[in-house]
Amino acid sequence: MRKAAFLRKRYQYILSGVCKLLCLFGGLMLLPLAGCLLWPYAAGDFRAFALPAAVTIGFGALGWLARRGPREELTMADGGVVVFLAWLGASVAGAMPFLLASTRLSFSHAVFETVSGLSTTGLSLVDVTTASHAILFWRSFLQIIGGAGLAIVMMATLVGPSSPAVTAAEGRGDQLVPHVRQSARRVVALCAGYVFLGVVGYMALGLTAFDAITHAFTAVATGGFSTYPDSIGHWDSAAVEGVTIVLMLLGNLNFVTVWVLLTGNVRAFARNGEIRFLVFILAGSALALFVATTHGIYPTLGRAVRAAVFESVSALTGTGFTSISAYAGWNPFGLLVLTLLMVIGGGACSTSGALKQFRVYVLLKTVYWEIRRALLPQRAVMSRAVWEGDRKNEITPSRLHAIAGYSFLYLATWFLGSLILTVHGYPIGDSLFEYASAQGGVGCSLGITSPQAPLTLIWTETVGMFLGRLEFFVVFVSVVKLFRDLPRMAGFRGRMLDG
Amino acid sequence: MKAVICGNGKSLYFLGRAFLARGYVVTLVTPDEKYAAQLARLLNATVVAGDASAPAIIEDAGAIEADVVIAATPHDHDNLAICQIASARFGVPQVLALVNDPDNEKIFGDLGTPAVSATRIMIDMVERRAAFGEISALLPLGEGRLTLAEVELGPAAPVIEKRVMDIDLPPDALLVSVLRGKTNIIPHGQTVLQRGDRVIVITSPESHGPALRTLTGEA
Amino acid sequence: MRFESQYIVIVGCGRLGAYLANRLSEAGNSVVVIDVSPDAFRNLSVGFSGFHIEGDGTELGVLAQAKASQADLLLATTRRDNVNLMVAQLAKSVLGVPRVIARVFDPQREESYRGLGVDTICSTVVAGQAFWARLSEAPEP
Repeated sequence: MRKAAFLRKRYQYILSGVCKLLCLFGGLMLLPLAGCLLWPYAAGDFRAFALPAAVTIGFGALGWLARRGPREELTMADGGVVVFLAWLGASVAGAMPFLLASTRLSFSHAVFETVSGLSTTGLSLVDVTTASHAILFWRSFLQIIGGAGLAIVMMATLVGPSSPAVTAAEGRGDQLVPHVRQSARRVVALCAGYVFLGVVGYMALGLTAFDAITHAFTAVATGGFSTYPDSIGHWDSAAVEGVTIVLMLLGNLNFVTVWVLLTGNVRAFARNGEIRFLVFILAGSALALFVATTHGIYPTLGRAVRAAVFESVSALTGTGFTSISAYAGWNPFGLLVLTLLMVIGGGACSTSGALKQFRVYVLLKTVYWEIRRALLPQRAVMSRAVWEGDRKNEITPSRLHAIAGYSFLYLATWFLGSLILTVHGYPIGDSLFEYASAQGGVGCSLGITSPQAPLTLIWTETVGMFLGRLEFFVVFVSVVKLFRDLPRMAGFRGRMLDG
Repeated sequence: MKAVICGNGKSLYFLGRAFLARGYVVTLVTPDEKYAAQLARLLNATVVAGDASAPAIIEDAGAIEADVVIAATPHDHDNLAICQIASARFGVPQVLALVNDPDNEKIFGDLGTPAVSATRIMIDMVERRAAFGEISALLPLGEGRLTLAEVELGPAAPVIEKRVMDIDLPPDALLVSVLRGKTNIIPHGQTVLQRGDRVIVITSPESHGPALRTLTGEA
Repeated sequence: MRFESQYIVIVGCGRLGAYLANRLSEAGNSVVVIDVSPDAFRNLSVGFSGFHIEGDGTELGVLAQAKASQADLLLATTRRDNVNLMVAQLAKSVLGVPRVIARVFDPQREESYRGLGVDTICSTVVAGQAFWARLSEAPEP
């Protein structure tokens, strides 16, 4: 009975945190409306945003204000529950504009689009040629919010909950400075800085303000939503692709690493394992793609080089912009290279997703260490350290366990998800590609993901995107925890799952 | 003269013995009771068992009448505390701390506690001796700001048959003495150096290398 | 001194160090904790959002890693008086930290260091005074 009362108090605090986040999220929904002062207003836009905003803000405010009692200290698992519930709530609340606006998406499709936005994936079911400006803005805006981190953005304001357990659950556990709120502010500042550079760059190249903003948002967020069906290929310009590549690379860099560089520590930046791995893998894959794939497809040398480089960066950083139309003519080698890049993914603690370069780098280094260990004197003691942030850190066995375990889980679910796609009749290679894109939060598509696709496939990808963004364990642990705690709070004394 | 020496291990024994040989009245302080008993048997010194950085203990050891306190424990921070307390609370005129971290030589000095680093002396000896074969008896002075070196002039030395005033030594290097056979010559500008002379030269860390190179001709 | 977004370095993550670190971090300050033993950092609460560094706080290199020269406040709270005193002096005289406080157990040492300009808090004296005050209160009926 004591435990029930304790849990009730704790969950009250958790729920008020979730409601606070949702309330602020609802406020953000008003932004596309404000934008209507700047761009064409479509019939029904006002209702499509104002209504969901009011509902979300109202619901959030109720939960927020209803809380009594002092601040509770949130454990890591509690932080995970906050993030899990907040992201669930935002996925549903953020879907409402898609439901109500002229796009009139079905519930499944609307949730898919919202999750694709928040998880910075970029697979889309919206017909961008008919969607209103407000809707297009909302899509892109979802990506930059999700990319920085829902809780991070809120924490940067004065009212967001200020708990390291929450930032850790959102994949922003590594801090830039020794306080969680200050760190969140700097992350938001970095993202804003990148976006600003992008907007300036794009507008200098002649893009309209609307296109510049929406594409800067999604490039920095390494999301990949575009306002045109042929994505970045719409402009067919090396300069536009160049600006986009810079933004994608910035978004994919670990925020801590960038901060280390900005504070003047060039040495630590140059020694950073992730940076070295990034350079190596990008150079390698661009070269491989050029030689084996694009070289033979495109008429000019320039075009072939551009395609090889752009698509590599887009796949690895998990953005999902394309500069060419739906990989027409690409051989299996090229698609497999892209699939590999999509699984490897971007930097840790960045807007990118998938397995993350840091993990792959450590696993590769582990192989190297094993070989080296075998050649050292038997009694020798070896240090297994990598450069992270501004110092060298030892990779302890427990950390290696976590990395290896997660990598296995990621690859296993990738396989499982691809399996489900094949059940729907799609070929092996295409299934592996498309599902890697969903789970890795990339957004490159071979066409499998479309409004005509079966609903089970759509939901498989939605779940994949959600799990991938929250790195599985937040979801698993939260679900189990809620499953255990809810009956207890209601007063049932269960012997199952006790502990 | 009364000395209080604080430390542990073999070095405490030898420090005690050395000061006793020079006629000091010595009190040793060590935290290890068993070792204290052993020292008491071996040396003609008062031995106190306890933490020398505790004012009560060092008072007991006679700090109030000590002329010099030496802190030679394995930890720099303990040595600093011992010296500072001895000096500030008991007015001991001369204190010296042994330090492991060479950087602490200067830092402790700035905080008012003279310090000497065994690490630094050893590195100096290895680095300087390794470069020049004919140099012996290297002595660092003035907290490492000066070095006294003895250089034997071999057959290939470029300064042989040269007058001292014609030798191009760096400005902060000084030739203070020339040992020729059994005679000790205090050189002046006209003194001519000969093969086999043992030249005593004082240098700063910066001029040390160039001065020795000038004298011996070794690159 | 207002407690909010100060840059604070704490040397020694035992019970006292961790207590101060947790409270200061949760109050909104940027806190960096240094300790020789990585296990000591387990004393930090989940709400602590500062950094921790494994190293010897008496070494200037470690203090530099913690950017102690930019600190507004440095607290020396290890279990050894002499370490705290040395750290405090390094921070004050060498690094120029505006405010430095050292915890000292031995009341006699505290007395000796008063003259040397080191701000100290003696755990023993503080506890002793608290006991004394409690004993002087009328006993519960």
